[in-house]
Amino acid sequence: MKLIVPYLTKPLVLTGGALAFGWLLVAVLAPLIAPYDPLQTLQPLAKPMAHGAKGEFFLLGTDMLGRDIFSRLVWGARTVVIYATLATLTAYAFGLLFGLIAGYAGGRTDAVLSFLANVVLSFPVLVLYIVIIVVIGASPVNIVIAVTFSSAPAIFRIVRGITIDVASRDFVKAAITQGESTLRILFVDILPNTTGPLAVDFCLRLGYTAITIGTLGFLGLGLPPPTPDWGGMVNEGRAMAIAFPHLVIFPCIAISSLTLGLSLLADGLREVNDAKERQA
Amino acid sequence: MTQPLLQIRNLSVALPKGADRPFAVHDVSLEVNPTEILCIVGESGSGKSVLTAALMGAAPKGLRVASGEVAMGGRDLLTLGERQWRDIRGKDIGMIFQEPMASLNPALTVAQQIEEVFELHSDFSRAERAARARKLVEEMHLPEPDRILRSYPHQLSGGQCQRVVIAMALAMSPKLLIADEPTTALDVTTQAQVLKLIRELRDNHGHGIIFITHDLGVVADIADRIAVMRRGEVVEVGSAKQVLTAPQHDYTRALIAAVPSLVPRDRAAADAGAEPEPALTVSALNHSYGAKQVLHDITLSVAPGRVLSIVGESGSGKSTVARNLIRLTDPTSGTIAVGGHAILDLKGGALRRVRRRIQMIFQDPFGSLNPRRKVGPMIARAAMLSGAGRQEAVERAKELLELVGLQRNAYDRRPAAFSGGQRQRIGIARALAMRPDVLIADESVSALDVSVQAQVLDLLADLQKRLSLAVVFITHDLRVAAQISDEIVVMSKGHVVERGPASEVLTRPQHPYTRDLIEAAPGRGAF
Amino acid sequence: MYLGMFLLRKLAIALATMLVVSFLIFLALEVNVEDVAVKVLGQYSTVEQRAAWLAQNGYNDPFALRYIRWLGHFVAGDWGMSTFFRAPVVEIVMPRLAASAILAGGALLVIVVFGLGLGVLAGMRPGSLLDRVISVFSVVTTSIPDFASAVFLSGIFVFWLGLLPGASTMISGLSLAELILPVSVLGLYSMGYLARVTRASMVDVMNTHYIRTARLKGAGMGRIVLRHALRNALITPVTVIMLQLPWLLSGVIVVEVFYAYKGFGTLLYDAALNQDIYLIEACAMISVLVVVLSQILSDLIYGWLNPRIALVGAKA
Repeated sequence: MKLIVPYLTKPLVLTGGALAFGWLLVAVLAPLIAPYDPLQTLQPLAKPMAHGAKGEFFLLGTDMLGRDIFSRLVWGARTVVIYATLATLTAYAFGLLFGLIAGYAGGRTDAVLSFLANVVLSFPVLVLYIVIIVVIGASPVNIVIAVTFSSAPAIFRIVRGITIDVASRDFVKAAITQGESTLRILFVDILPNTTGPLAVDFCLRLGYTAITIGTLGFLGLGLPPPTPDWGGMVNEGRAMAIAFPHLVIFPCIAISSLTLGLSLLADGLREVNDAKERQA
Repeated sequence: MTQPLLQIRNLSVALPKGADRPFAVHDVSLEVNPTEILCIVGESGSGKSVLTAALMGAAPKGLRVASGEVAMGGRDLLTLGERQWRDIRGKDIGMIFQEPMASLNPALTVAQQIEEVFELHSDFSRAERAARARKLVEEMHLPEPDRILRSYPHQLSGGQCQRVVIAMALAMSPKLLIADEPTTALDVTTQAQVLKLIRELRDNHGHGIIFITHDLGVVADIADRIAVMRRGEVVEVGSAKQVLTAPQHDYTRALIAAVPSLVPRDRAAADAGAEPEPALTVSALNHSYGAKQVLHDITLSVAPGRVLSIVGESGSGKSTVARNLIRLTDPTSGTIAVGGHAILDLKGGALRRVRRRIQMIFQDPFGSLNPRRKVGPMIARAAMLSGAGRQEAVERAKELLELVGLQRNAYDRRPAAFSGGQRQRIGIARALAMRPDVLIADESVSALDVSVQAQVLDLLADLQKRLSLAVVFITHDLRVAAQISDEIVVMSKGHVVERGPASEVLTRPQHPYTRDLIEAAPGRGAF
Repeated sequence: MYLGMFLLRKLAIALATMLVVSFLIFLALEVNVEDVAVKVLGQYSTVEQRAAWLAQNGYNDPFALRYIRWLGHFVAGDWGMSTFFRAPVVEIVMPRLAASAILAGGALLVIVVFGLGLGVLAGMRPGSLLDRVISVFSVVTTSIPDFASAVFLSGIFVFWLGLLPGASTMISGLSLAELILPVSVLGLYSMGYLARVTRASMVDVMNTHYIRTARLKGAGMGRIVLRHALRNALITPVTVIMLQLPWLLSGVIVVEVFYAYKGFGTLLYDAALNQDIYLIEACAMISVLVVVLSQILSDLIYGWLNPRIALVGAKA
């Protein structure tokens, strides 16, 4: 409890947390919240707050295929939460492992791993995705693979930096002189001391991933239709946005509120971390 | 009777709510006269730095002057606005800081930074400003003034930077100088030169100087009057002679008693005749970083139950020796043997087994303990690594905590719950948990206040005798070395320049460098 | 001397990076020759047609040989024929690159002026109202995806206020009005990011000992900021500006697609949708080249701003 309390007193964390966890809740409870099946054709291009012929109520209107936008947003939350989290976690698994190794081992191991990471990072993210998607095709698994491939090097760089910093501290030297095994030094002495900054990065990264998945959807390179996907909804509605702005506005608000929530959360975490560091 | 330059009356600075005490500085009254050095002495947390900041109208964030006045030239400084302060700073009051390098702007040359003071407080022409800056640099006894003026701070040494800072503080010949730990970051020999310079300022220019320090040795060298601070209050003020020789307050007495003497402590001489097998032998150690050789043929040995001190200034290579001993880095050539077994060729499991026998106590009490782990299990883990079973390790950890003077309930706490001195004790316990033969102490008491330092030194000396440990004690501080060593090795620029029994080296130094070092030790006459 | 060595080292790394990248791109797109044939000749080509085409174009040679030949052609400026545009890739890419440079240049201007400006203002007095407003603004701009800010800005300025055109096709020549929205959307993200970096750097610098020294010399706020803080505080952000180029390039794709702007981004996008592999290869290579060059430029700027570069060079 003592660990969590300082986080809760920050308005930033509260707002961010409310937004982010709100969407998480929506994702989990999607079947209960969504009034209609997100794939079901009801009545095309109904305006927000309109009532359907059979007495349906379309809170945010319907799209050109007659699907309820509110229901699609709710189910879209589930899509983005699942894929963004999955992709971020796999990216973290690789970034963490190689970052710890490179930062701790130093020397040639570090030079080679860092060079490879830089090679991947010298691709603009979207260019990298486009190349990957052209080669392996757009499918849920492939999107996770693409995100992992492009985010892991960035995570690697951060973890490597923190590891070098932590490894230079005397308690790691003490562990070495005690004859502690390298694995234990990495995972018991170093890793727990990286969690503060990594928690911040994780929130931000989750947001980036959500943005990336959304952007791919917007470009029509994301999850194949008819999956309810926020970016894809903007893409589909774009052609008719002049007459029916509700087709694109609501999904944009949805994704922006989620990513804003995650950034605010990250900011709040960073502030609390900094304050803790100053105290120590 | 001359008029005091600056008079502090009943000054209190409030700490924010929730701090360990209500005031950082409480009801302080002091005065400084022209041609006088007033030393304010105190340990960490005494409030001496907050006091100086308040005097400059720059109290740290969150602190606020609660009451009192600071009178200078008929004005109460505390009532001045920011604009009025700007006229006074640099012109009437100059300030010198602890971190000379960090106190200079890395992006501006020395000349630009000194001349700026004239730009702010005078209407000298450009040429006049340059000429005056050059003259100041010369007065600071800086070599090659023209080169120095053109240089950026990173191109100068710490001592040179401090002289530049002093030159800047003196540019407008302020009546009052405030120096906050100005020599703490410097090597002893450089410190001695800077102290000499500050005395000259008083004698030749009649400055009044407030000199803040934690080091009683420095105080003895430089003070005309002394104020002793403790927990925000001045507990004693008086002339230097009076305070140092006949202190009135218990705290002052304790402080003075804790200053380690330069006279070697009488340690029971080794049993004559049977010289025991050395626990650690180092021979012909060389170490290079790239083309730069930092160690040249270092040879030494320590017997069980004996303490060998390696004394040297920064850059002497003493810490590289320590890193080689615990095999954090490997030397370019040479041998290191523990109990007669060479350790430099060992790898993997064999290396891990031998590591147990040679343990280290680190310098920084805050960096040497993993903040995420509880203290007891940390020590127990060390015991287990040395081969103890789980139950036995826990028992040993508890015993050790008691042995180093901590409560048993320390077992379940994390390092953040302990003070610097306590953390060093924990570090000692952790090292001892492995039952080592050799203990390396790398500047292990340097970061501690003198009163705590004395206690930790006593503990180390006691344990070392009781457990018959061979100790390599690495320090920059001759006084500390004098207290704990059987033998002393003096290092300079990677070479051993002198070695011998502590009493010999300290009382009859042979090498000129050793003599300089002893000469430069602050407060040599007083303690 | 050090600076020379430093640069040489950076150039060598850049070259190695380009080499590895070119290999990866070639590997990804051309390791499967059947696939290449299908993409070039189309799905409805016959097996015989493909086999003949492969034989004719040297695709039956070993992979390593093909790579070296491809690389040689690429360096010589022969980037192959676009299957979608039915024209040499070089001729298609160059004008598009120029068009995108206009967009990116405009965005860069916005980013530098507003990013640095807002960051310095916020960092001068951390915790002030101005700081908090700027901080919130930059969090918001860095959180919203490009396509969403495009939707929001177009919603306001095109549909609601009717001030600006909703597409930037530039059919009737270069139009400033058509540039405003894409440049703003493109600049928004990096501007917020740069403002945050600048603010953090400024706050750090304002807390240093040498700023305290300047204050205690009697210098006023204006002088402290302009003479003492700015140069040191800008080293990191100015270096960061160049490193934002990869982000900008990603953004270019989204913004150009959204506003139907005929630039490099839409080109890559069309290439991807149409499986135009030679065009994709060229676009990918150029994107990476731009990034790598920007990194070198960033190092140069860092060296120029930081008087301690000699030390950095010695350490590196």
